[in-house]
This record gives sequence, structure tokens and C-alpha cells, in this order.
Amino acid sequence: MDLLKYRFKTLFKYKDLIRELVSRDLKLKYRRSFLGYVWSILDPLLTMVVLTIVFTRLLGRKIENYPVYLLSGRMLYDFMKDSTNNAMKSVVGNAALLRKVYVPKYIFTLAKVTSCMVDMVLSLAALLIVMLVTRAQFHPTILLLPLVILQLYIFCCGLGFFLAQLNVFFRDIQYIYSVMLTAWMYATPIIYQLDERFPRWFHIAVKGFNPMYYYIAQSRDIIYYGNIPGPRIFWGGWLIAFVMLVIGVWSFQRSKDKFILYI
Amino acid sequence: MSKYAVEVENVKIRFNLASEKVDNLKEYAIKLMKRELMFQEFIALQDISLKIKKGESWGLVGANGSGKSTLLKTISGILQPYEGIVKVNGRIAPLIELGAGIDPDLTARENIFLNGMVLGHSREFMEKHFDEIVEFSNLEKFLDSPVKNFSSGMKARLGFAVATVVNPDILVVDEVLEVGDMRFRRRCNERMQQMLSGGTTLLYVSHNIESVRNLCQYAVWLDEGKMRMVGPASEVCDAYAEEQETQLRKRQAEKRELLRREGKKYDYLIVGAGLYGAVFARELTRRGKRCLVIDKRSHIGGNIYTEDVDGIQVHKYGAHIFHTSDKKIWKYVNRYADFNNYINSPVAVYKDELYNLPFNMNTFSRLWGLKKPQEVQAKIAEQIADLHITEPKNLEEQALSLVGRDVYEKLIKGYTEKQWGRDCRELPAFIIQRLPLRFTYNNNYFNDFYQGIPRGGYTKMMEKLLVNIDVMLETDFFEYRKEHPDMFKKVVYTGMIDEYFDYCYGHLEYRSVRFETERVEEANYQGNAVVNYTDREVPYTRIIEHKHFEPEEEQENPKDYSIISKEYSMEWKPGIDPYYPVNDEKNNALYEKYRALAEQEKKVIFGGRLGSYRYYDMDKVIGAAIADSAKELNIWIQ
Repeated sequence: MDLLKYRFKTLFKYKDLIRELVSRDLKLKYRRSFLGYVWSILDPLLTMVVLTIVFTRLLGRKIENYPVYLLSGRMLYDFMKDSTNNAMKSVVGNAALLRKVYVPKYIFTLAKVTSCMVDMVLSLAALLIVMLVTRAQFHPTILLLPLVILQLYIFCCGLGFFLAQLNVFFRDIQYIYSVMLTAWMYATPIIYQLDERFPRWFHIAVKGFNPMYYYIAQSRDIIYYGNIPGPRIFWGGWLIAFVMLVIGVWSFQRSKDKFILYI
Repeated sequence: MSKYAVEVENVKIRFNLASEKVDNLKEYAIKLMKRELMFQEFIALQDISLKIKKGESWGLVGANGSGKSTLLKTISGILQPYEGIVKVNGRIAPLIELGAGIDPDLTARENIFLNGMVLGHSREFMEKHFDEIVEFSNLEKFLDSPVKNFSSGMKARLGFAVATVVNPDILVVDEVLEVGDMRFRRRCNERMQQMLSGGTTLLYVSHNIESVRNLCQYAVWLDEGKMRMVGPASEVCDAYAEEQETQLRKRQAEKRELLRREGKKYDYLIVGAGLYGAVFARELTRRGKRCLVIDKRSHIGGNIYTEDVDGIQVHKYGAHIFHTSDKKIWKYVNRYADFNNYINSPVAVYKDELYNLPFNMNTFSRLWGLKKPQEVQAKIAEQIADLHITEPKNLEEQALSLVGRDVYEKLIKGYTEKQWGRDCRELPAFIIQRLPLRFTYNNNYFNDFYQGIPRGGYTKMMEKLLVNIDVMLETDFFEYRKEHPDMFKKVVYTGMIDEYFDYCYGHLEYRSVRFETERVEEANYQGNAVVNYTDREVPYTRIIEHKHFEPEEEQENPKDYSIISKEYSMEWKPGIDPYYPVNDEKNNALYEKYRALAEQEKKVIFGGRLGSYRYYDMDKVIGAAIADSAKELNIWIQ
């Protein structure tokens, strides 16, 4: 218990550092670009335009208001992808600093995930614009979105911790993970709809074993369909998030004292 | 609370030094299957126990790789001990590397905050101390430019200012202060002293034993990860220094032996690392010759050597002011040093009177209260005429016939007698050929176009001249030649020419001086670099106050102390450092005989002040070295 108290105390002590690291990431991301923050919105918008053309015009699929369908899933997936990718490199990338000063190492991982989340929240404006332009209906359930983001944030922290510590010992994980991310994207109904055209085993695999499915299904429910998410995906989402967090924190905690010898 | 700031108990640090670094899965899997995943253990520290009380200052000494930094990192919490316990009471400010955590893409302002928070300060705290940090780091003008455009010195200033903004309980310093310019180092030292007097516990690592001695009460000597000695800093430092000395000698001997066995041969052996030797070596090396420079002394630079004493460049062998009218030579030396605009304008003290030198209208008007040059000229002519000297028989009469009684008695007589150790009437007239009198109010001692002192001292300039040239100090030429007769093809000899020929015709004579150098606790001792004392009663001929040679340095870093050297003339005897050749008839004739011998030595070039038995200004030495080396290379080509 004391240890936990101590951990929270250090976390509190370094809260300003996290904030500073987050604002650094955001500042640096757009410092040299002409449009700056606008890119946080423009980027998902432009990608959405490309995918919409490819999916509806070239492949001829029919999904009602495809832009909103796509964005409500893709933004969460991009957040997960960016945050875990950055988190993975957070310890190794700050090697020079960690060798010189004592800073709790998880601070950097946490800061990366957080800055990606802030970025994602900013880019929600893109979703808003698309919804306005396509005259999509605003459902009151959209107010539940922060809860979904929080679940995903916890999940990403956990996964981030896990990857960050793994990356210290095996740099190969970076390449492996990038392949996995591509596979993961196609295994998640982001650009397509998980309908009867897919085989049964795929349904089971996605719904049972793909954590992203839980978050994206929730966000679709509250933004696109206007439903309250079912208890299975809602509570499942929380459960997965915390399980991932425990795995991440545990693996990180276990090996953090050895980092210095490998970075 | 415990009375100890730091407690270290039986600490052991182990690194897994994988003989090949395994950091990808494929290798890992293969090695795992073959059961080859064995790490080579490396014990960085072992059996380390220390108890450091609050407010004490401790230094860590030891060779590279002895574990000093590892111990600091363990105490700072960066490394975890493999065995043992480390307890720290109080907040640590680690200065393990300045500017750790500086992001080059952020501006200085953003970095101050980021860096402060990396050190665990809150935003509020940083805002409160922001101005203080900016002031100390002296970067007001650059606050909003990205740090990647900063020089390394600016980055170091920024890092130090942030790291020391708060008085920490424990300050951990790892050689960071050895980077950066002297001015910065001194500021850092001041800040550290200030913290120490405020009760901070200090842990300090340095290669510079002197700074450990000065800063620390206690010291630990680490040797290959183990504690070799613990105790009062002076004792530990002495023991360590002694060991280092023997190691150095051993290594030097080994190096020499290795060179000999490898048969690495030099084209030229240059005897004497003074100005002539260094320029000669530089010129030859520039054209692809291999040179080895040796010197008897333990430093390079010969008599122009300057030594850093408490941040002041001390002219160890007397005042050296570079002056020349030769543009080529001025350009040449400026390649190797930045010269300041120092102008030599000494003053002379006679009893309680003070006069400007060289003899000019300021001097005369002080002497006689006259203002116009014509009046002064008339006065001197009158004084000379009164004496009725037609043929000067000695120095006194010679001087009198040139400047008259007043100038001679107040400014020449005593000084010259102290210089030569003899009465002026016993000295030959030829010593003073002419005494330039200036009828303008101009105190600039030299008439040359260019004048100055290399910023940061002559030694720095000499180091630059000798870059990439093999130098062996504390090496006697005659012994070296005996031991390694076939290591070199030719010799450039800048030592005493009579010594080279084993004094076969007898000793050439020199005049010598000695210096009594001391530190005075006054910011400004005499207001001028050189003050001559011209009455006989004062035993020294002059006092040099070294800081005035580099006024710009003093302006940047005012010091409340000063280093002065009293210069005494002394009789030269064989074995004493020779300074000035005595170019009288007798000695010149003797030199001619040696020179005839020297011409027989086809494989030896004689040069420099001692090698050619001549009084040389520095610019003339450089000119001669350049000319002689060019001549030498032409011969080589033919």
C-alpha cells in the first residue's frame, strides 16, 4: 500500500513534466508546417476522402453515410496505432536522458500516449465537420464518447508499456509490430462492415479476440447508430483495458531496472 | 532523520556485457536453443561502502573505467545496485551531464521548463525561478530561438543554470565542469562553492586532482571497481597522484620502447619545444615530414610558457608581449591564436615617484614640469653639455652622454646595476648603444605595427602549433640520442650550442632572472602589467601583474585576487635556466668558434635563442624558424 502511495506521489510530482512533454510533442509536430494544428483535422479528412472514393466508387460497396462510418472507427484505430507505436519507442528514444538523470521511465511512455490522445481529441473536429457536411443525425448517445476514449486510453497505456519494455530488449519488435498493425487494421471492421459476407470463424475471431473491435463497435454505436452500447462490448471494453494495463505495468515494472543496461 | 546524506552499503554493480550484443529475436532464439545465451559478467563496482554525512564534500578519483561515474549514477538512482543498499536522504541535483534532456528543436524558454521538470520541479516553481535562470545563463537574447542553433557552451550554460536553480541537499557533479570555457568553469565553481557554504553535500568526480583537493574534504580512490583508499582528500589525492606519476612514467617508457621496436623513424628530431622548435616542426610537418619534438622541461612552450593559476595566465618565465611589424608573421601567429589589443606601456617607480616608460614627454614633464617638446630637448641638451663627456669610458658615461643626468640617475642607473649586478661605472659602454627618447606623449613601448597577447595564454598557441606532432617531455636530448641513435635522420637543436659541443671551448655566458610569484588578495595590485623599480634599494627589477595582460578576460570574469611576480636579476651559473645571451666581444668570439664547429655538423641545424646565441624577439624567432625550415626543405628537394 505504501508503495502504491509512493507511486502516486511520484506521478503527482512529475505531472508537470508529463504536461510539458505532451505539449512539446504537439508543438514540435506542427512547428515547421504552415497550417499547424489544422493538419490534425485535415489529415483524417483527406484520408477519409481517398478511402471513400476507393471504397464506394471503385469497389462499389454500399454503406450508408460512409464518411461518418469510416471516421468513427478510423480515428480510434489511428490513435491506438500512433500512441502504441510512439510509446514503444519512448524508452529507447530517451536513452540519452535516462542514462543521465533519474526520471521515472514510465513518464515518457505515458506522455506519448497522452499526447496522441490529445491529438486525437483535437482531430474530432474532423468528425464534427463531416457530420455537419453530410447532415448526419446527432444522437445524444454521442455524449458517451469520452468514456470510450478513456477505455481506449487505458488500453493503449497498457499496450504501450508492454511494447516499450519489450523494445528495450528486442529492437526487432518495431518491425514485427508494424506488420502486426497492418494485419490488425484489416482484422478490424474499420473500412468495411462486418456482415454476413464474412465467414463465421472470422466473426468469432474478431468479436472474441480483437480488442479494437470492442472500442470501435462502441464508438459506432454511439456516433453512427445512436444506440447505447450493449453490456458485452461496454464492460468487455473496460475489462480488456484494465487487463492490458495490468500486463503492461507488470512487465514494465519487472524489467525497468535493467533498461539502463540495454539502452 | 538520519545524520547521513548518503549511505552506501556493500554495493555491487554488475553489467551483463554480452560479448556480442543480442538485441534481436532471431539471434535470441538461436542462442537460446543452442544454450549459448551466456552473458559475460562485468563487475563495475564491488564492496563499496560509504557513509557521507550531511554537509560534507567528497571527491571520487580514479582512472578511466574505475567506476566513478557508475557510483555517482547509482547514488543518483539512475542505476540500481545488483547487491547492497543505497540510501539517500534529501533531494539530489545530478549534474552528470549538462543539458541532459535539452530538446534541440525547442526554444530556450521551452527547454528551461522541460529541463526543470525532468529534474522534478513543478511548473509553478519553474515560473518563479525563470528569471533567475535566464540571468545566470546569460541567454536573454536567445530565449526564443531553437536550441539547435546554440553553441555547446550556450547549451552547457542553460543546463547548469537549470540544474542549480535550487539549493539541493546533495549535489552530484561528474566532470561536467571540465567542458566549456574558463569563464564558465569559474562561474560554475563559484556557484558550487556557494552551495557548499549553504550546507549542501557534494559528491564530485574529476580527473583534475587539484580541483578535488580544493573542493573536497574527503576523497575515495576507486581502482577497477573497488575502493582502494578512503580518507581526507589531500592524503588520497597525494597517493593517487603519486601512483599516476609512476604509471605515466611506465607508459612513457613503454611507448618509447614500442616506437623503438616498431622502428618508427622520424625525419627530424627537434630538440626544444619552444617557439623556434614548434614553428620549425609545424612547417616541416605541413610538408609531410615526420617530426619528433623533445624537451627537457615538463611542459611545452619554452620560455613563453604560460600557466593557468586560479584562472589567470601566468607568464612563468617573464613578461612576453608579442610585437612585430612584419605583416606575414602577424598573420602567421594569428592562425594559431586570437590576439588581444594589449599595448605595452610600462611605468617606472623611483623611490616615491612614478614615471611613464619609454622615455617620452609624459616622463619628462613629470621630471621637470615642462610641457613643450622644444623645452625638453633644450633641457636634455643642456644637461648633456654640462657633463663634457667626449669619449664615454663606461656605461655610466655612455648613458649620461645620451640622456643627461636626471633621466640617468632616476631611471637608468639603479635598474641597470640591478640587472647586471655591477656598478654602472664597471660596465662597458657598448651595452647601451642608443637610448631612444620620444618627444611625443606616447606611452606605447614598442614602435611596431602589430602588438598583442594571445587570448588564453601562449601555451594554448603552442598547443595549436604542435597539434598532431609527437612530443616527448622530460626527455634529455643527449640521453635520447645515446639510446636511440637511429630514430631520426636529422636534428634541429635549439638548446645551448656550447652544451652540444660539451663546452669544449668553455662556457658561453648568460644573464638570468628568477621570479617570485605569489597570489595577493587584491583585485588590482598595481594597475599595470609591468612596473619597473629603478632605485637600487628595491631588490627586484620589476613586478609583473599577470591579469593585466588580458584585460578583456578580467572584464568578463572579475577576480578579487591577483597573481604577481617579482623579477630578480641573477648571476648565471651553469645549470641555471639561461635567459639572455651576453653578446660582448669575448662571448661573441667564443660563439663564433662554436659556430664553426656547428657548420661541420651536417646533420644538425642550430637555431633559436640558445642555439644561435642571440637575443631574439618572438617575431624574429618565428621568422628565423620559417626561413630555416624553408631552406632545409629546399636542400631536401635537391
